[in-house]
Amino acid sequence: MDTWKEFDQNVITHSAAHHLMAIADLLRQHGYARVSDVARRLGITRGSVSISLRPLKKAGLVEQDENRHLRLTENGTALVAAIKTKRHLMQRLLADVLGVAPAQAEIDACKLEHLLSNQTAERLLSFLRFLDSDPQRGRELVRGWQDYETACGREPQACPSCREVAECLAEKLSGAATPRRRT
Amino acid sequence: MSALSKTEVVQELNRLFAEEVEAALRYLHLANSVRGTDHLVVGPVLKQGFQETIQHAEVIARKIRALGAVPELVLDIALPPESMDGKEALQTALTFEEAALEAYQDTLRRVEGDIPLEEFIRTQIAVESEHVLELKQLLVE
Repeated sequence: MDTWKEFDQNVITHSAAHHLMAIADLLRQHGYARVSDVARRLGITRGSVSISLRPLKKAGLVEQDENRHLRLTENGTALVAAIKTKRHLMQRLLADVLGVAPAQAEIDACKLEHLLSNQTAERLLSFLRFLDSDPQRGRELVRGWQDYETACGREPQACPSCREVAECLAEKLSGAATPRRRT
Repeated sequence: MSALSKTEVVQELNRLFAEEVEAALRYLHLANSVRGTDHLVVGPVLKQGFQETIQHAEVIARKIRALGAVPELVLDIALPPESMDGKEALQTALTFEEAALEAYQDTLRRVEGDIPLEEFIRTQIAVESEHVLELKQLLVE
């Protein structure tokens, strides 16, 4: 399957992931979650929450009882746990290993948390476990990379990282504007 | 007198204002998303819903102004192109109308003791209840 099609067929959208996590957080904090609570937490209208919950109910991730209280099904609970784990792993990779500023790492991890496949997340966990298995060596490994100064000559043919694509990757990135939010 | 301060009352009303404006936008979008012959049957109902909901938003805005404040509108809404049949559109409308009704009922509980405001919210609840009932009847028929 083409990757971009797979992206469209992802289990849940970014917005849906946040609805599920809001319900989970409210249940943990207050023991109950209503549409109004989710709306306040996400800063959106109740109408919006109700509309967003429809596909989640249909998918068997969320249930609403006769008192209009929301709860996560077993599948919904498992999905929230997986999303939160992926966010944590991504945040660690970005901030602790790649040295991305914590605030930016949080934003990027949030964008990716629901898109990352389980397979990739498992490999990521394995990598972080490897670093954690010998903390001193792990720190040295990361520091060695962080201290590495790239003297990029903008010559794709001479660069082992760019040879395959025959284009200067650094140049491509420096010319790219940060994507703006879709309107 | 309500236990809420004037600022809190205005916040409550702003939330209702957002519910109504957003519902109006959803009605407008739905009215133009229904396909086929259903558009002829359900389209006018949805357009009427749009007009009535915008009127409700104006009523709320006037109430906010009467309290000496200016309405604040915070919306986060995306309505992707999605053609649907009449029944789906009515079910969607019922979902956000019920949510609006519950929002008014919540507000009523919060403003308890402020008789004029209570009366205002009760009137809105009556109107919203009527909307919900009409949509339910259309979905049964």
